[in-house]
Amino acid sequence: MTESFVQFTREDLAAIAPETALAVAGCVILLLEAFAPKLRRWFASIALLGVAASLYFLAHAPFGASFGGRLETSTLTLLVGLFLGGCAALAILVAKPYLERSGEEKGEFYALLLWGHLGVSLMTRGLDLLIIFIGLETLSLAFYVLAAFFRGVEASSEAGLKYFLTGAFGSAFTIYGVALLFGASGSSRLEALTRPGLAQSPAVAFGLLLLLVGFGFKMSLAPFHAWAPDVYQGMPTPAVLYLSVAPKGASLLVLYRVFSAVFSSGMPDRFRTAIAALAILSMTLGNVVALAQRDIKRLLAYSGIAHMGYVTIALAVFGREALAAVIIYFFAYLVSNAGAFAAVSALYRDETKAHPLALLAGEGRRARFASAVLALCFFSLAGIPATAGFIGKFFVFKAALEQGLYALALIGIANSLVSIGYYLKVVYVLYMREPVDAQGPPPLAPADGLALALCAIGIVALGIFPTDLMQVARRAAEVLPLAGP
Amino acid sequence: MSDFVREHLLSVLVFLPTAGAAVLLLFPRTLEREAKIFGLAIAAAVAFLSLPLWWRFDVLQKGFQFREQVPWIPPLGISYSLGLDGISLVLVLLTTILTPIALLFSLSHVEKEVRGFSIAFLVLETGMLGSLVALDLALFYVFWEVMLVPMYFIIGIWGGARRIYAAMKFFLFTMAGSLLMFLAILYIAIRHHSATGAWSFAFEDLYRLSFSGRIETLLFVAFALAFAIKVPVFPLHTWLPDAHTEAPTAGSIILAGVLLKLGVYGYLRFALPLFPEAAMRYAPWLGILGIIGVIYGALVAYPQPDMKRLVAYSSVSHLGLVVMGIGAFTTMSLQGSILQMVNHGLSTGALFLLVGVLYERRHTREIDAYGGIAGIVPVTTALFLIATLSSIGLPGLNGFVGEFLILIGAWASPHRGWAIAAATGVILSAVYMLTLVMRVFWNPLKNDENKKLTDIRPSELVAAGLLIVLMLWIGTRPNDVLDRIRTSVESLQETVSTKRLALAEKGSARP
Repeated sequence: MTESFVQFTREDLAAIAPETALAVAGCVILLLEAFAPKLRRWFASIALLGVAASLYFLAHAPFGASFGGRLETSTLTLLVGLFLGGCAALAILVAKPYLERSGEEKGEFYALLLWGHLGVSLMTRGLDLLIIFIGLETLSLAFYVLAAFFRGVEASSEAGLKYFLTGAFGSAFTIYGVALLFGASGSSRLEALTRPGLAQSPAVAFGLLLLLVGFGFKMSLAPFHAWAPDVYQGMPTPAVLYLSVAPKGASLLVLYRVFSAVFSSGMPDRFRTAIAALAILSMTLGNVVALAQRDIKRLLAYSGIAHMGYVTIALAVFGREALAAVIIYFFAYLVSNAGAFAAVSALYRDETKAHPLALLAGEGRRARFASAVLALCFFSLAGIPATAGFIGKFFVFKAALEQGLYALALIGIANSLVSIGYYLKVVYVLYMREPVDAQGPPPLAPADGLALALCAIGIVALGIFPTDLMQVARRAAEVLPLAGP
Repeated sequence: MSDFVREHLLSVLVFLPTAGAAVLLLFPRTLEREAKIFGLAIAAAVAFLSLPLWWRFDVLQKGFQFREQVPWIPPLGISYSLGLDGISLVLVLLTTILTPIALLFSLSHVEKEVRGFSIAFLVLETGMLGSLVALDLALFYVFWEVMLVPMYFIIGIWGGARRIYAAMKFFLFTMAGSLLMFLAILYIAIRHHSATGAWSFAFEDLYRLSFSGRIETLLFVAFALAFAIKVPVFPLHTWLPDAHTEAPTAGSIILAGVLLKLGVYGYLRFALPLFPEAAMRYAPWLGILGIIGVIYGALVAYPQPDMKRLVAYSSVSHLGLVVMGIGAFTTMSLQGSILQMVNHGLSTGALFLLVGVLYERRHTREIDAYGGIAGIVPVTTALFLIATLSSIGLPGLNGFVGEFLILIGAWASPHRGWAIAAATGVILSAVYMLTLVMRVFWNPLKNDENKKLTDIRPSELVAAGLLIVLMLWIGTRPNDVLDRIRTSVESLQETVSTKRLALAEKGSARP
C-alpha cells in the first residue's frame, strides 16, 4: 500500500469541504465564546450558516470517490446530506430558544452539535470502514458530552454516563466487526468486500453481525435499545431531536452500504431472518412498552425504537426499491419526529426536569400552534394517510410485500394498530383534558414557531405529494450495487 | 368560473368543505357565532352545489359519470380519479344534505370550541364525499382514513360523559379493519404490476385481475372486515352503541346517517367486484349475520334505559336488514338495501336530532326522566312520531319502501327463510320504537321539571322539517330514487356474474 492519506488533490479538498465547513463553524463559535462572549446571541445563526455552507459545498463537490476511493459524493450522499442538514438546522432552530430559557446558552452546545453532525456526515459518505468508524466516534464523543450538558442536573449526568457506557460497548462491537472484515478482505475499503467468495466466509458473516449489533446500538434497535429512554430524558431536547433522527438514518445507510458490498448477488436467508427478527422485536417491544409511558420524552424514545423496527423491515427486504423506501421513510420520520421534539421543547417550561404527559393537559387550548403541530406529528408517526408517516410506511410495506415477506408486513401492520393507542393518548391529553398546570407553557419563540411550521408543512406536503421525493430517492438508491426492484 | 365548477363538480364538492375549514382557521377566536354560521354556510353551499348532480345524472348510462382524472403519483399509477354512479349519487346527496342539517342543529347548542367544531365537520365532509366518489383505491383509502380523525375529535371533545373511551374505541376498531385492507390494496396493486408490468391503483384496472381461491378469500376477508366493522355487522358492532351514545347530537346524525353507510358502500363498490367468487361464497354468511343483527339489535334496543342508546341499537338492527339484502343479492333486495341506507340516514338522523332537542333542554337521555310531555312539546312530539313511523316502515313513508323491497327481494332469492326471519325484526322494531314514544311522550306526566320544557326552536324545526319532507317525498315517490339506482345495481350484478363466469371457464380449462 503506497497510497497514503497525506497526499491529496484539490478535488479531495473540495470533496471534504462540507465537513470542513462544519468543523470551522464549530471552532469559530468556541473561539467567540472565549474571546467575545457578547456575541453569544449570534451563535445559533453562525451554526445555521455552517450547516448551510456545508450543504452548499456538498452540492458543489465533484461527483465520484475521492481520497483514493474513500469518500463518496453521489446523488445518494447529496440526498442524505439534505436529510442530515435539515435535521441539524431544525435542532439549531429549536436549541436557540431552549437554551435561552434554561439560561445555559453556551457556545459549546452548538459546537458539539456541529461536530457530531460532521461525524454523521462522514459516516454516510465513507467508503472505508475506518472513515465510517471515525465518523461514528466523532458523533458519539460529541453527544456523550451533549447528553451531560446540564452539569448540575442529576438526570443529565446520568444520561451522559449511560450513553457513554452503552455507546462505548456498541463501538467496541463495531470496531471488532471492522477488524474481522479487514482480516477477511485484506483492506478496510468497502470495495475489497465485493470480492467474490467473501460472502461465504465465516469471518465476514461474523463481522457483519457485529456491525449489525454496533449500529443497532446507535439506531436504538431492540434489543440494543435500553439506553434510549434514559438518555432522551436527560439530554437537552434539541440534542435529542438530532440524535433521534440523523444518526439512526446514517447507521441504517451504513449497514445498507456494507451489506450491499458483500451481498451484491442478494442477501442470504439466514441474514434476512436475523434482521427480520430484530425488526419484529424492535417494533413490538417499542410499541408495547410505549403504551405504559408517562413521560413524553420516554414515550418518544420507545416510539423511535418501534419506528426503527418498521424501517429495518426495508433492510431485510434488501433491494434498490427497499433502499429508496428507507430514504423516504427517514425523510418522513425527520419531519414527524423532529416536529414532535420541537413541540415538546416549546411546550415545557422546566427544561431540566422530567416531561410528564400530564403537564400537557389542556394545552391544545392554550398553546394552540405547538399543540396542533404535536398532534399532527403524532398522527404522522401513527401513519394516518395524507401525512408523511403514511407515505413512509406505504413504501416500506410495499417493498416487503413485493419481496413476499407477508408475515413481516402483517406484524408491522398489527404494530401500527398498537401504536395508535399511545399516539392518540397524547392527543387526548392535549385536547380532551382540562389544564392542570397553572403556569402554562412558555410563550412561543419565533425560532420554535419556524421549526414547527417547517415540520408541519413537510408532513402535509410529503403526505400529499410524495412523487418528487420518491423519484429522487429511487435515483439515489441506484448508487449502491443492489439488485432491483 | 361556473364552467370550472360544472366540469369539476365532484372536486368542488369534495374540497369546498376543506377550503372552508382552512378559512375558518384564520378566523379570530372571538367570532364564535360567525364561525358557526360560516361553517353552516359552507355546508349549505356544498348541498346546493350537489343538487345539479341529481338532474344531470343520466339514469340509463352504465358506468361512472362526472368523471375527473388527473395523475397523482404517476410512478405508481396512482391517480386522482373521481366518478359517480347511482349508488354513490344517492349517498353523496345524503351526505351533503345531512351535514348542514347537523350543523344547523348545532347552531344553538355547541358552546365549547366552536371554531374547531365547524372545522371538524367540514373536514369530515371532505372525507365522506371523497370516499364516495374516489375510483382509485389509494385515493379511496386516504379519504377513508382521513374521516377517522375529525370524528375522533368530535366524539372526544364535544361528546358525553364517557366520550374518551368511546372515541378511542371507535378509532381503534375502524383502524384495525382498515389496516388489513391497506395491505390487501397494496397486494392487489403489486399483483397487477407483476401481471401487466404497469403500476395502477385504479379500480377499473384492478378489478380485471382474478385471484386463485385461497388468496381471493384472504383478500376478500381483509376488505370485508374493514367494511363490516364500519357498518357494523354483528358481532363487530360493539363500538357503535358507545360512539353513538357519547357523540354530540350532530356527530350521531353524521355517524348514523353517513359513516355507517360507507361500510356498505365500500363492500358494494370494491369488495364485490374485486372478489366476486369469494363474495358470493360468503354471501350466505353475510345474510345470516345480517339477520342476527336485525334480531339482536331489536332485542337489545328494547330494554335500553337511554334514548340515544336505544336508537343506536335500532341502527344495528336496521343495518342488519340492509346487509341481509346485500347477502340475498337480487336486483330488488340490492335496490332496497341502497334505498334503505338513505331512509335510515333520514329517519335515524331525525331521531337523533329530536333526542338531541330533548337532551339540550333536560340534560338527560334517561327515558324514565320523561313521560307525558306530548302536551307540553306538541311539535317535537309530532315530529318524533313521524320519524318513528318512518323508522318502523309505515306505508306512505320512506322506510316502508326500502324494507318491503329487501324482504320481497330476499323472498325471491334462494334463501326464502331469510325474509321470514328478518320480518320478525321489522315487527320488533315497531315494538321498541312505539314503546319508546309511549314512555317519553305519553304515559302520565310525573316529573315536574318536564313541565318547564320548551318546544322546538325555529332552527331545530327547519333541520328536522327538512328531513321529514324528504321522508315524505321518498315515501310517496320512491321511483325518483330507485330509477337512479337501478342501472348501477344491474351493472354491478352483471359485473359480478360475468367475472365469475370467466373465472369458472378459466378453472375448467385448467387441467
